Amino acid sequence: MHYHAESYGNYNASTVRQNAAVDPLERVVRLASGSAVVIFSLSTCCMCHAVKRLFCGMGVNPTVYELDLDPRGKELERALMRLLGDGSAVPVVFIGGKLVGAMDRVMASHINGTLVPLLKEAGALWL
Amino acid sequence: MFPSWPMRFHHTPRGSSKSGEESTDSGSAVHALSSRGEGSRLELESPVGRKASSSSDHHQMIDQMHHLQIPQQLEVASASNSPRTGISQPQLARPTSEKRRGAGSNSERMLDAKTLRRLAQNREAAKKSRLRKKAYVQQLESSRIRLSQLEQDLQRARSQGFFMGGGGGAGGNISSGAAIFDMEYARWLEDDHKHMTEIRTALQAHLSDGDLRVILDGYITHYDEIFRLKGVAAKSDVFHLITGMWTTPAERCFLWMGGFRPSELVKMLTAQLDPLTEQQVMGIYNLQRSTEQAEGALSQGLEQLQQSLTDTIASGSVNDSMHHMAVALGKLTNLEGFVRQADNLRQQTLHQLHRVLTVRQAARCFLVIGEYYGRLRALSSLWASRPRETFIGDDILCQATTDLQMVQQSSQNHFSNF
Repeated sequence: MHYHAESYGNYNASTVRQNAAVDPLERVVRLASGSAVVIFSLSTCCMCHAVKRLFCGMGVNPTVYELDLDPRGKELERALMRLLGDGSAVPVVFIGGKLVGAMDRVMASHINGTLVPLLKEAGALWL
Repeated sequence: MFPSWPMRFHHTPRGSSKSGEESTDSGSAVHALSSRGEGSRLELESPVGRKASSSSDHHQMIDQMHHLQIPQQLEVASASNSPRTGISQPQLARPTSEKRRGAGSNSERMLDAKTLRRLAQNREAAKKSRLRKKAYVQQLESSRIRLSQLEQDLQRARSQGFFMGGGGGAGGNISSGAAIFDMEYARWLEDDHKHMTEIRTALQAHLSDGDLRVILDGYITHYDEIFRLKGVAAKSDVFHLITGMWTTPAERCFLWMGGFRPSELVKMLTAQLDPLTEQQVMGIYNLQRSTEQAEGALSQGLEQLQQSLTDTIASGSVNDSMHHMAVALGKLTNLEGFVRQADNLRQQTLHQLHRVLTVRQAARCFLVIGEYYGRLRALSSLWASRPRETFIGDDILCQATTDLQMVQQSSQNHFSNF
């Protein structure tokens, strides 16, 4: 699992300028396209913990963004809420840059057998 | 119980059960008789025709009156004497038996102190005997009422498909959301029974796949409905769902996150669903694996919630305990999410079964599921009504055994399809 906390560490001036200009939703999309499996999460959220365990249990290595540890995480949360049209912003899962959805959609796709092919297609899972 | 119960010439069977209860009544009746004097106004009716106020002691008077036919004038005289001396009514009970035994010197006996003492003791013994009998009869009556109530409850439970909702009995402190859900669930169970009967009939009638599919879709919709109802209930009373108070005890034993465990259901079905095509075998196998993985993930999430909750409740000093309570309350709201996801998993599992199997297989599969939970509920019902104490007696033991045989018979009929 890769935890990305863009607030600390490897910031250079150009990155900061880039991030400052970007609309939250665009930032979400950009981040989501960065890895095969992307999870937007909150470090205190237990349902997020469950979805992380699900992927790890399947042998997948997802990239996790903890929004409560990001200084602009609040914006991203709001953007995600608008995207899902639902109550809770997290957890939200993207696979291969495409939105899968919140926990219930992820569960449903695993049970109906569409999740594994999606993971394989994105290169997150072999065999 | 009634060792010293004296013989009565005209003692009817009905009288024997009434006499104990009316012994107090008899007092007033016989007092009235006594006050009328030498019993000249006694009615010479047979005890059978007497109304409720008749008593053993009244019978005694009749017996004594009938003794008038026997040439024992002395007895009549002594019987008459007793009312005049103003001694209370129980005394009238004794003289008859005394007289029957020792016929001769009654007039002397009446004056003998030892005899008087003995008569008094006999009066006391008779009184105690009557009271004991009265208590025993009352106990028998209340046991009889209790037994008939038990039988009624069992009959009702049986007709409702052995639904034994635990929520209503738990001290009466059930939330309105929980009570509403329990009612809706009871109605859902009745509908479930109807759906199952419809499917069974359709299978036996060998309807076309198209017709069977319509019936099956109806059954799936029926299941969707209970998950929707549970979602509503989770908002108002998640504890009612997650502790399984809406189910029967045996179901509660296997409870996982407020309902059945999907992987266990799939495992149970695997044995019942033969024969399957290669593709179907793969489908069922994948379903079992994915449900297991999903269950594991949810369980771990819930564990983390519980750990977090424990930390919150345990931590904090006395000063900021209210703050910690507020935090704990906030964490508790997450429970609803887990029950919702678990129900979602259950619903998706049923839908996937519907997809993997043919119409006919799916119909049989859903019948098996319905049968399984019906038996589990029946098990709860039988367990609750099993005879536990010997004093209940053979009656209930026979009844429970009969119930068991009935359940076995009905189950055998249901499973004859497989």
